[in-house]
Amino acid sequence: MTDRITVEELAELMKKSAGVTVAPAELRANDPGFDSLGVDSLGLLGIVGELENRYGTPMPPDAERSKTPRQFLELVNSALMTGA
Amino acid sequence: MSGPHSRRAVITGMGVIAPNGASTDTFWKATREGIGVLDRVTREGCEHLPLRVAGEVRDFDPSAAVEERFLVQTDRFTHFAMAAADLALEEARLGRTVTDAAPFSVGVVTAAGSGGGEFGQRELQQLWGKGSRYVGPYQSIAWFYAASTGQISIRRGFKGPCSVVAGDEAGGLDALAHAARAVRRGTDVIVAGSTEAPLAPYSMVCQLGYDELSTESDPTRAYRPFTSAACGFVPAEGGAMLVVEDEHTARERGAQVRAVLAGHAATFTGASRWEESRHGLAHAVRGALDEAGCAPEEIDVVFADALGVPEADTAEALAIADVLGTRVPVTAPKTGIGRGYGAAPVLDAVAAVLAMEHGVIPPTPNVFDICHDLDLVTGRARTAELRTALVLSRGLMGSNSALVLQRRATGAS
Repeated sequence: MTDRITVEELAELMKKSAGVTVAPAELRANDPGFDSLGVDSLGLLGIVGELENRYGTPMPPDAERSKTPRQFLELVNSALMTGA
Repeated sequence: MSGPHSRRAVITGMGVIAPNGASTDTFWKATREGIGVLDRVTREGCEHLPLRVAGEVRDFDPSAAVEERFLVQTDRFTHFAMAAADLALEEARLGRTVTDAAPFSVGVVTAAGSGGGEFGQRELQQLWGKGSRYVGPYQSIAWFYAASTGQISIRRGFKGPCSVVAGDEAGGLDALAHAARAVRRGTDVIVAGSTEAPLAPYSMVCQLGYDELSTESDPTRAYRPFTSAACGFVPAEGGAMLVVEDEHTARERGAQVRAVLAGHAATFTGASRWEESRHGLAHAVRGALDEAGCAPEEIDVVFADALGVPEADTAEALAIADVLGTRVPVTAPKTGIGRGYGAAPVLDAVAAVLAMEHGVIPPTPNVFDICHDLDLVTGRARTAELRTALVLSRGLMGSNSALVLQRRATGAS
């Protein structure tokens, strides 16, 4: 497992935790808002919780308030880098 | 909002997900034919429990009925509710374009006896098996009694008055009455009803403490109310959602008026005090008749609560006799599908509307030798001109409710 969370992993977590299916390419190309994708605040909280369990480290509190996947990945990955 | 006309609450759509059919049509065909579908419990993790027979919904694919993101967030009882609400709205011809144009005119009322037990069990197993960090956030809403009301309104974009009735089994009828009141007060449409999913291991274990539960293992013998062999009730899952609407609004948009929610009353006589439920139920019937402006002899058929406990059956037969006499036809089609707690009387209300439309009283499956002074319809459906039906419901915790349904609105109210 790399210590950077990829768009692919986020797409997989969105499906598992929030029931939203979206292609990683779509996330990469257009960075659609979580709102428009149908990922609500509890869904995002579930994704954060799953990442914390996987990587054994707390995610920044602002992560669950991210508006888009890109914003989210920047936040969690910067936390993982500094935590490493 | 309320116009110059007097507002009357009518049913314009009905959606059913029941053990004997995942559509209103299949439910009615099986009900009319008196087909019993009670069977051995097959749900994983339940095989060893002393509750052996239930009414499982087997002909329902949640992923075909509900979008994945709502499936992930909700329990089976809410899957039933969302699917049944869709069927009812479709039947009432209230598609998304119609309701999106007036979202504040549509509300939701549901009743639930137990909430999302299967979802809750899964997350609690995570809690005790792996730790609190492994409990998903949707646990906070999915196992809650109110989940179905909330999720139906979110999913369909309804912004009218929403509520949840926690009133025991009888709450199913109370939810319909609450919807009727909301319509009379000025909301055009309320999607109302009850669905339950009490057949997962945790939920089933919770029910084992009920003295009234049947532990008989033969599906044809497990639920036989009003007979000397009565040995309790058989639980079921599924339920129904109805579209309750202001009659004037419904007629103006060309919707078919199926029946009038004419009268309702509820009483409380205490948990498992079945002898006392006689007077509570009779009082509820009188109240419902009074609200409907209906004489006792106008009731053409009674859909009984039919608990299947001798003392409770006696109390119900006497309550019916006290108010309506002993000549009114009585039926209990739920002996063919089981008793879905709050959902049971809503399915009875659906059956009552269809019985009035078709002019037939569906029979009481598996029930033959009646040991009460009761004209119970058994064996085969009975043809009858039906204009007014009475639905009765009692809860294990002591609620009693009665609902009067009328086939068509008489002129001025």
